[in-house]
Amino acid sequence: MDSPLIPAERYAPLWCKSCYSFLEGASHPEELVEEAYRLGLPSIALTDRDGVYGMVRAHKKAVELGVHLIVGAEMTLFDGSALVLLAADRGGYANLCRLISRGRLRSPKGESRVSWEEAAEHAEGLIALWGGERSLIAGETTPDRAADCLREAFGDRLYGLLTRHRQAGDALRERRVRDRAARYGLATVAGAETLYHTPARRDLQDVLTCIRHGVTLATAGRLTQPNAEHMLRAPYDFARLYADDPGAVRRTEEVAQRCRFSLAELRYRYPSERLPDGTTSSAWLHELTFRGARKRFPKGVPADVRRQLERELALIHELEYDGYFLTMYEIVQFCQSSDILCQGRGSAANSAVCYCLGITAVDPVRMGLLFERFISRERAEPPDIDLDIEHNRREEVIQHVYEKYGRSHAAMVANFIRYRARSAVRDVGKALGFPETGLERLARLLSHYDAPDWGAVRDGDFDATNPMHRDLARLTGEIQDFPRHLSIHPGGFLLGHEPVSDLVPIENATMIDRTVIQWDKEDLEDLGLFKVDLLGLGALNVVHRAFDLVSRHYGKRCTMAGIPADDEPTFEMIRRADTVGTFQIESRAQMAMLPRLQPRMYYDLVIEISIVRPGPITGGMVHPYLRRRNGEEPVTYPHAILEPILKKTLGIPLFQEQVMQLAVAAADYTPGEADQLRRDMAAWRQAGRIERHRERLISRMMEKGIAAEFAERVFEQIRGFGEYGFPESHAASFAIIAYVTAWLKCHYPAAYLCAMLNAQPMGFYSPATLVEDGKRHGVEIRAVDVRYSMWDCALEPSRRTPGAFAVRMGLRYVKGMRKEVVARLTESRRDAPFRSLDDLAQRCGLDQGTLARLADSGALEGFDPERRDALWGALGTACDEQPRLALDIPEPDADFDALNALETISWDYEFTGHSPRGHPLGPLREELTRMRLPDAAAVRSYPDGRRVRYAGLVICRQRPGTARGAVFMTLEDESGFVNVVVWDRVFRKHEALLKTASLLGVTGRLQAQGGVAHVVADELWTPQLGRRPHPTRSRDFH
Amino acid sequence: MDRMACVDLAALPLQVLLRAQPEWRSYPVVVVDRDKPSGVIQWVNERARSQRILPGMRYAAGLALSRELRGGVVSRAMVDDVTAELLQRLWRFSPRVEPSSSDAGVFWLDASGLGRLYPSLELWAEGIREDLREAGFASSTAVGFTRFGVYATAKAGNGSVTFQNPAQERSYVRRVSIDRLRIDPELRDTLLRLGVRTLGAFLDLPAEGIRKRFGAAAYELHQLARGEGWTRLCAREIVEPTERTVYLDDPEIDSDRLMAWIEPLLAELIAETTARREVVAAVTLELKLDNRSACCERVAPAAPTDDAAQLLGLVRLRLEAMQLPSGVVDLTIRTEGAGRSARQLDLLQEAPHRDLDAADRAFARIRAELGDGAVSRARLSEGHLPGAGYDWEPMSRMTSPKPRETGVRPLVRRVYAPPIALAARGRHEPDGWLVAGVAEGPVEEVVGPHIVSGGWWAREVSRAYYYVRTRSGRWLWIYHDQKRRRWFLQGEVE
Repeated sequence: MDSPLIPAERYAPLWCKSCYSFLEGASHPEELVEEAYRLGLPSIALTDRDGVYGMVRAHKKAVELGVHLIVGAEMTLFDGSALVLLAADRGGYANLCRLISRGRLRSPKGESRVSWEEAAEHAEGLIALWGGERSLIAGETTPDRAADCLREAFGDRLYGLLTRHRQAGDALRERRVRDRAARYGLATVAGAETLYHTPARRDLQDVLTCIRHGVTLATAGRLTQPNAEHMLRAPYDFARLYADDPGAVRRTEEVAQRCRFSLAELRYRYPSERLPDGTTSSAWLHELTFRGARKRFPKGVPADVRRQLERELALIHELEYDGYFLTMYEIVQFCQSSDILCQGRGSAANSAVCYCLGITAVDPVRMGLLFERFISRERAEPPDIDLDIEHNRREEVIQHVYEKYGRSHAAMVANFIRYRARSAVRDVGKALGFPETGLERLARLLSHYDAPDWGAVRDGDFDATNPMHRDLARLTGEIQDFPRHLSIHPGGFLLGHEPVSDLVPIENATMIDRTVIQWDKEDLEDLGLFKVDLLGLGALNVVHRAFDLVSRHYGKRCTMAGIPADDEPTFEMIRRADTVGTFQIESRAQMAMLPRLQPRMYYDLVIEISIVRPGPITGGMVHPYLRRRNGEEPVTYPHAILEPILKKTLGIPLFQEQVMQLAVAAADYTPGEADQLRRDMAAWRQAGRIERHRERLISRMMEKGIAAEFAERVFEQIRGFGEYGFPESHAASFAIIAYVTAWLKCHYPAAYLCAMLNAQPMGFYSPATLVEDGKRHGVEIRAVDVRYSMWDCALEPSRRTPGAFAVRMGLRYVKGMRKEVVARLTESRRDAPFRSLDDLAQRCGLDQGTLARLADSGALEGFDPERRDALWGALGTACDEQPRLALDIPEPDADFDALNALETISWDYEFTGHSPRGHPLGPLREELTRMRLPDAAAVRSYPDGRRVRYAGLVICRQRPGTARGAVFMTLEDESGFVNVVVWDRVFRKHEALLKTASLLGVTGRLQAQGGVAHVVADELWTPQLGRRPHPTRSRDFH
Repeated sequence: MDRMACVDLAALPLQVLLRAQPEWRSYPVVVVDRDKPSGVIQWVNERARSQRILPGMRYAAGLALSRELRGGVVSRAMVDDVTAELLQRLWRFSPRVEPSSSDAGVFWLDASGLGRLYPSLELWAEGIREDLREAGFASSTAVGFTRFGVYATAKAGNGSVTFQNPAQERSYVRRVSIDRLRIDPELRDTLLRLGVRTLGAFLDLPAEGIRKRFGAAAYELHQLARGEGWTRLCAREIVEPTERTVYLDDPEIDSDRLMAWIEPLLAELIAETTARREVVAAVTLELKLDNRSACCERVAPAAPTDDAAQLLGLVRLRLEAMQLPSGVVDLTIRTEGAGRSARQLDLLQEAPHRDLDAADRAFARIRAELGDGAVSRARLSEGHLPGAGYDWEPMSRMTSPKPRETGVRPLVRRVYAPPIALAARGRHEPDGWLVAGVAEGPVEEVVGPHIVSGGWWAREVSRAYYYVRTRSGRWLWIYHDQKRRRWFLQGEVE
């Protein structure tokens, strides 16, 4: 930061809009504050349009630089005019937030309107500046009514705002403002509407204006500003601009002096729970914790747990966090009473109190987790509890929170959708007048998340010598990280003892029945406000459904806590990587790691979940860990002080917590610095935030005698964690769910498969793959049938094995089928079975489309075993509104070819997305064998290094950003999976084929080591078969 | 026996796009319904298809498969223009041509009797394909006996097929794939699901069963395929231009004598136009001169009319205004017709206080005498620069003024377009700034500057505008062009 200029003149810019006046201001709030500091301005106001979205960022920077930040907003009135309001004190700020909330909550998303009377009602503690192009005081007609309203409410806190931008209309507007201010007895104050911190951003401001109005620069006309005079002015420049009225300049300082409010004054009280008479929050939390502890430890609470609980409760009480814990407890209680499965995760898993309150399921004392990771006196930041809730019932919990605390005391946290390379190219290019189809092609050449790297673009459509293309490159760089619009955090709530709208404005979210505050997660962290995270998790829904099925059909009641922790068949199945459909450990990469890691206990799963992440992978931690675990390499520590931190992971840092502890122990990070490191890791998309730790970390580590190579590796891992790393506490919570799902799959495969199929869409694999996996595990799958199927899949007694169950596919799998139609069908069926297709159509009132869908899917095979005949019949048998006449002449027969086995399976895939009758490659096996193509089981049995030609259905493609362009694919046939690795060179050669083929041939070399087999592809090709299976859809991930 | 032919230009919109963008021929190319990444691909070329880019995909999805993908929108108007062009070409091969109203790129031609003009109908059909190929279009043709038969055969896309007898046509048509025809996709997919892949298999289905299951349109198709229910050829008529040409024995330069030639010809053309239930919207004169040059002049009345005197008056004004370098040897006069407007038919309308029609007629005469650009009016537009604050647009009709009420008397600013460059200011100005010369005296008052800058994306301008008052009392509107570092006089305030 440059040192400030020492100006002879002084003034305060009182009307500044940042990029948080969405698509209007062209500077970040921090840039405005930094520029004010550089210009020697002691104060600056941030007055974004109908919001305080950027205020926390500006506040943070102002505190850092010692600039006085004036908090305000530009309010939009019903008549479309504007009024600038500045908060003089805390009451004024609350009024500002309430007024914005009122305007926002009544308006469509992205808009706000308030009345003059409402502005007057909220005048206390606010200063009003009336002027500018959009103001009534500068308009053609005399605004006597509005003036009376404002004068009465604001008194001497109402100023006439003079604005000069060296535009032709300035003089007329100013004369009106001066005349009317004199008439109404108002003082005038000098100003200008600041839209950017430097004139260099004028071009970007023009582009933002075009984006906002959906026009191009060539057609924008007067929508853009006529000149570049909306920058932050140096004091001497401002004084020169108002050389004829120095009094008005001086009054800017007077106004600044009157605005003493700072965001640092915000005092936040967490909502208190309604407590039994006479009980304090603290005592009630103590009571509930020990009640829970007695349940968790029925044989008596161990002394070390008791000690830990007392220690935690004392700190919670000292930091006044009792209410927060009671809230989380209440939400968990609500979930339990509503039969909603939930589980806490995140740093809360480090707390024994959370464990005893039933918020988390991990015993931190046994796990040796650090409570300080959760709450720390030094860090002075609020605890963060993430509660995973069955994803299909999360909305119930969210609405419960709204209901319990009221819309005024609870609102969801915002999430700003910001410009990244591709979105920037699309929007900026459109404003510049590029054709959109061409822009899309250009956008695809850039990274999803990073800033645009034009040097890497080698395409005839981008010409660096073309001025228009150069503008595109320059402006897409400048617009990076600008917020485009407001979205909603996946599950973060802000709760307050006082109304939340006294703290921050609330507005409507796009989703119905949701309200959202104007700050995001990071803003809340910066201000030390509490956030409650209610996140949806599909796996919990699967577990719940599976528990219900086991209870109903097998007569066994299961709970998460009641499942034996050390079930050997389950671990044996996990070690075989037989984990399709399980939580977290089902992906191709996880399955490849399982045989190498050989998990034998719960903590092994914690490591398994953490290790297959970009953090450890890019940090080069995986192989050393595996070698040490297998005894192929001694466990050593780079420095004695790191031993306690790295001991449980054999000297290799695998968890985010370890990285932070490393920073503290080896690089002398203070707790505050370590916390900043954690937040910078979380904000990995904001360029350069992690990089600034590099020098500090490595040099300090080397000073302590740690090898440079290790220090570099630790930093690489930190960077990797930034992209996506797991804290141990997250992994510990997820490992429980992973284990429970594996246990269910191992012992109740039919029930688990049924639960999985009913919880779709979710997970890594398609229903077809889950069904095929079920079949390979001996689960009998029964096709959809109007005579038996319900909406959901269901269990039916098996005819093969007494006591076992088959899965009857539900009608939800018939494409295009609606739930209410199926309800009608099952209702009618309850009265009497359907006698014929006609009977079905008439009794259920089914139309031609529905009947055709049922025939296509094979659900009418009970009436006509030939599917084409059934389809012809269905098309001619819609429900008649009029009773039929007996005189109907029977129509001549139509003759259709019967479907062969391949066609039958293809129809199943086309109309239900799976086939209970067989795998699409089953009927082609003979032909494939003739072509000397083996099945997956044969490939897996080949020795390492053998050359392989194989063909299978592509069920999954993955191209992780950390894999240097490699693509990982899973191919499937009737005997199982084959994993294929396609290096970048081969990918480039066969890109279109790889991206689109559903049946793919691969030639390559088999790598089979440690129970893991991959074919490393040299060539990809399309198998030349006489018949082709129906194209299946693979699940593709980045 | 009547012979019928069908020409099919498959994927016509794609052919139109590639004709407009020939440099794209080596790339995968698609036609999209709108210029957006979410635009749906409607047509694809072979290269795109080989990259597995298919109709129905979003353009963005196509791009994911090929980064080289080029796409563009082909509007209905573009297709109509090309259809009109193709019609002109096909009229050269048959006087009776019917373009399909629902399937762009399909034309039926009456081939009856053409066997006597051409060595064979095969060569005739091949000639059509060759002619279209020269114009940049790929096509397939079929010559046969029924409209549906030749349509289905042309759609099958096997180049040029000529049937010798109806049985041969029927047999061929039975083998044509259902999915080659432009039929409702839902019907096509259902038939394919039923295993009905050819027109023959379709014809084997019971007709009433088709009607019951798939509705009237499918039944009609079934009927057509059976050779029933097809309407007769609705050929587009060849529109002959209304024109007369006179060849003068001696070169003529005198406008009165030329008018004497023109008058009877124009009367004939007006009568011809009236016979078509139209009135004359414009008269075009094409003059070939003795010095082998030529000129073409067009005059239009204020409103389409059959008033010969009015039209002759306009032609005379134009002729008199022309400076002919040499005598006229050939004279062609052509009229453009237009429908009679309701206003022209309205005889009982009360005459307005101001006769706007008279004004329009007067403007028409000014245009006839001074050229089409002679009558125009200013329209305010949204630009920051004074010169961009209005546009000049040709004025075809006079409308009543609707002045906005204002309490303040507006000042008049005269805008000089283009601005007038002023002399550079001297370093020493002992007599003051003599912006408008010595006679006006030095500048005594300056208001400004008002900065106008922008246009950075095309041609950047940066101007500082001032109002200056000279000693003589004139208020001048000047600016300093900061890029060119020069002063200009933009206008004046009255």
